[in-house]
Amino acid sequence: MKYITFHNLAKLLDALKEDYRVFVPVKKSESGDYPIKKGAQRFYKEYDKFSDDIIIGEVRPFEPLKAFFVSAREKVADNFSPEVPHTKDKPFALVGVKNCDLKQGFKVQDHVFNNHDFQDPFYIKNREENLIIAADCTCAIDTCFCLATGNQPYPEENFDINLSSVGDGFIVEAAPTRRAQKFMDKYHSLFDIAKDYQLNERKEQRQKVIKKVEENIKENNIPSYDTLKEDIIKKNWDSDVWLDESKTCVECAACTIICPTCHCFLLYDQKDKEKMERLRIWDSCMIKDYARVAGGANPRPKLWMRLRNRFEKKFDFFPKVGGFYACTGCGRCISACPAMIDIREVLVRLVKGNGKNK
Amino acid sequence: MERINNPYRPIEAEVLKVITETPTIKTIHFKPKEPIRFATGQFVEITIPGVGEAPFTPSSPPSEKETMQVSVMKVGKVTDKIHELKKGDAIGVRGPFGNGYPVDEFKGKEILVVGGGCGFAPLRSLMYEFFDRSGQLKKLFFRGGCKTPKELVYHDETKEWAKRKDLNLKLTVDAADSSWKGNVGVVTTILDDVKMDYKKGIGVVCGPPIMMKFATKKLLHMGFKEDNIYLSMEKNMSCGIGKCGHCRLGTYYACKDGPVFKYSEIKKLPEIWD
Repeated sequence: MKYITFHNLAKLLDALKEDYRVFVPVKKSESGDYPIKKGAQRFYKEYDKFSDDIIIGEVRPFEPLKAFFVSAREKVADNFSPEVPHTKDKPFALVGVKNCDLKQGFKVQDHVFNNHDFQDPFYIKNREENLIIAADCTCAIDTCFCLATGNQPYPEENFDINLSSVGDGFIVEAAPTRRAQKFMDKYHSLFDIAKDYQLNERKEQRQKVIKKVEENIKENNIPSYDTLKEDIIKKNWDSDVWLDESKTCVECAACTIICPTCHCFLLYDQKDKEKMERLRIWDSCMIKDYARVAGGANPRPKLWMRLRNRFEKKFDFFPKVGGFYACTGCGRCISACPAMIDIREVLVRLVKGNGKNK
Repeated sequence: MERINNPYRPIEAEVLKVITETPTIKTIHFKPKEPIRFATGQFVEITIPGVGEAPFTPSSPPSEKETMQVSVMKVGKVTDKIHELKKGDAIGVRGPFGNGYPVDEFKGKEILVVGGGCGFAPLRSLMYEFFDRSGQLKKLFFRGGCKTPKELVYHDETKEWAKRKDLNLKLTVDAADSSWKGNVGVVTTILDDVKMDYKKGIGVVCGPPIMMKFATKKLLHMGFKEDNIYLSMEKNMSCGIGKCGHCRLGTYYACKDGPVFKYSEIKKLPEIWD
């Protein structure tokens, strides 16, 4: 294991700009004090030079990582040309990525966009070329419950390099891949050998964050990974929980847009002079016309049906087709919802649910 | 990077002919610039450049290799533009997608095909496929219904079909006019004279959701096995490759796992008739 100082990390990020568009998490708060002031969020910003607002540790940025792999709006076809558009774009280097996005997030996105039947050339290009410099969570915020969905608050897979904040720098862990090794070799002069006390500090730090997430889970009575496995959707199919929970929903779709696992999109065509271009834009199953067909039939005309559908997709469809939940425990949807619909509360009700009829 | 085809790119096609079938349905004959091979029951996405895409099951048989046909009801943004197409216009085609009818498995069997309204389109492709394989089936029945005689598609063709010795055909309308000599009533009212061994028979149903629901019920009542009833599901298929999410049906995507399903595969899923 290696170690990098803050000073050298800045050098590293500067150097990366040559081959990548580098994105770092920043936090906008007046003082940058800790614990985090309520409402202060972390966002990805394109890196230019090192600045004080860059936060490598802490928790996941508000934006889901998927935005760098399936863009919110991108051109996917140019007239009738067989060329794949914009796959020659400069790749991204993504810094400070947290495990909720890496483990469960990629599990779902890979399942959708890189399955064997049909591969998505845009996603695969990004997956192959983007560089991921992950980081341990150094704290947990109130909405974090990753342990309940089977994730640790530190990177376990899908990264090239991981940084664990220790003292005035970071422990550097390289993934056992050729690309990561090449990276370590290229920038070897910026790294020192990690000392035992630093490795111990990383261990303690990780335990501290795990403990905080455990407290969150206990405080909110969040069902354990095992109880979620029971057929929670099927047994609550006719329950009043859906109507009840959807009462305040304003159908803004924030919960699905912000979700690192939600992957739905619509294809939108437009004409630029005489040329047609096809765009792919994020879509949401919470929107009324999402599943409507032109003939008029709509399988889910009511809002509560669409809320049920959102949970069915996450906790029934993906477990059945892929063997995993499509929830990372990142808590983004809780923060994003203007109607205070809380996925943790819904899960509690589903596990306790008695299938009461409406 | 290994070269991967762009699954979102439409192939250019030239409109050859436009036939007005009914006041709301037109059949478009077109020729894709790169040949598209499909199995009957699979679907394609038709692009009107700059307007958008919509899914259609070709109404022409797979044996027609250079050209294709789709029969389109005017119901929305894309289909409105499809109805404005003329000979020589350029459109786009993507596909084929999904699974069609397992026609090889129908060899030596007795088949009942039930169609309603615009559901005649995929069934026309299937019927021509059957005619191409004439002699392979033990018996073939076609029962079709639509609202009024004016809304009956493939009017002249079905007249020709009626003369075939290898087919027993009957049509019905919900409401007749003075021109109509046939049966009046919904399609389930003309199934009772289908003489075959229902327990071993194959039922193929395609039409509006309400018609599919009642026709399936009727076939089950007659004795058809759930495994032997094939339904073509109409969902909001967009990407065609199981990624965009819109056409999910339980654990299936209609675009990739359908659109043709056995009734036994989907009967337990919610929302199938909606």
